[in-house]
Amino acid sequence: MDQQSVQVIIETLKEEGVDLAVTLPEEPTFSLTEAMREDPFFQAVTVAGEGNGLAFCAGAALGGRRVVFVTGVAGLLVGTWALSQMGMVYGAPILILASYRGDFGDHSGIPGSQLLMFKQVAEPLLGALRVPYRVVNQKATMKRMIQEGSFACQDYSHPVALLLSGEVLW
Amino acid sequence: MKRYDCLKLLAPMVDEHTFAVTSLSTNAPFWFNVRPEGPNFFALNMGLCLPFALGLTAAFPKRKVISIDSDGSLMNDASSLITVADVNPPNLVAFVFDNSSYAFMGSTFTARRTDLAKMAQGAGIAKSGTVKTLEEFSAAAKEAIESIGPHFIVAKVEPDAGRVSADRSRTSGRPMREWFMDAVRRHPDYQGRR
Repeated sequence: MDQQSVQVIIETLKEEGVDLAVTLPEEPTFSLTEAMREDPFFQAVTVAGEGNGLAFCAGAALGGRRVVFVTGVAGLLVGTWALSQMGMVYGAPILILASYRGDFGDHSGIPGSQLLMFKQVAEPLLGALRVPYRVVNQKATMKRMIQEGSFACQDYSHPVALLLSGEVLW
Repeated sequence: MKRYDCLKLLAPMVDEHTFAVTSLSTNAPFWFNVRPEGPNFFALNMGLCLPFALGLTAAFPKRKVISIDSDGSLMNDASSLITVADVNPPNLVAFVFDNSSYAFMGSTFTARRTDLAKMAQGAGIAKSGTVKTLEEFSAAAKEAIESIGPHFIVAKVEPDAGRVSADRSRTSGRPMREWFMDAVRRHPDYQGRR
């Protein structure tokens, strides 16, 4: 992710009052999570597993914190159990920013069989878990989509995912 | 040592503003019976109790948050011990009631070679230990609640005899969540939307 995308995301999250950033470091979003870690506005937390990261987010969010969970499609797969519980059972307002690995345009070098699996599974998985999502792949619209995702997350009281792809991510 | 006896000792030690989070096991109905009011989040499913409690410590940094977990649940996502150690919350008191069994379905790994307190120490939670008597439990709980954490206390308890009932509208799912959110919104430290 280039610095332009990083700056827009950070600026928008600040405007939305999101000040708790939870992540398990992941290559495409590393520049974003590093920038959050260096910015004193954010409490940045690194977790050892996506499942406990999502449960951590839920506890903080139901306690009143505005929280973003930064991950990738693989992280969503690993965290499926926690996401189903914290979304469908408890309605925790967690904003998820996930790198959309395997989407068209992913030239990261991961074997194509893995990319295809991500592409085939990511959106059906979010659908199965009833997690509303959008694909954010244009810089011109990403600020508004983050704003709308953040609002929807709070208004629904439910996890909402923004899948980062295209010129926003690569 | 019986789990219920431990919780009966623990409940009077926490004030009305202390948060408590329980796992799905008998911890939920037992805790409801000894502390029905206040900011309680009951019956989180496998692996989710400790990290959820950790999240609450970030929302309420000036209040104690008590995690009442069970051995099977913690082992389902033991990497949460590493996350707790790294976040290092001074206001977390984590209990694990270790009956070395999956309800009535046979023994867990702690009946054999697994030591959860040593795992927590290895993860980096310095104040970790195991208690085996009510006297030890009472002393450890009191010390943990009154001092800077995080604390991780494994309480070795007997397998529970039978199931315990509790009002399900207060101890599970969305209705429980609404009771919890009502307590959260009335909490003097709450900073979110009312």
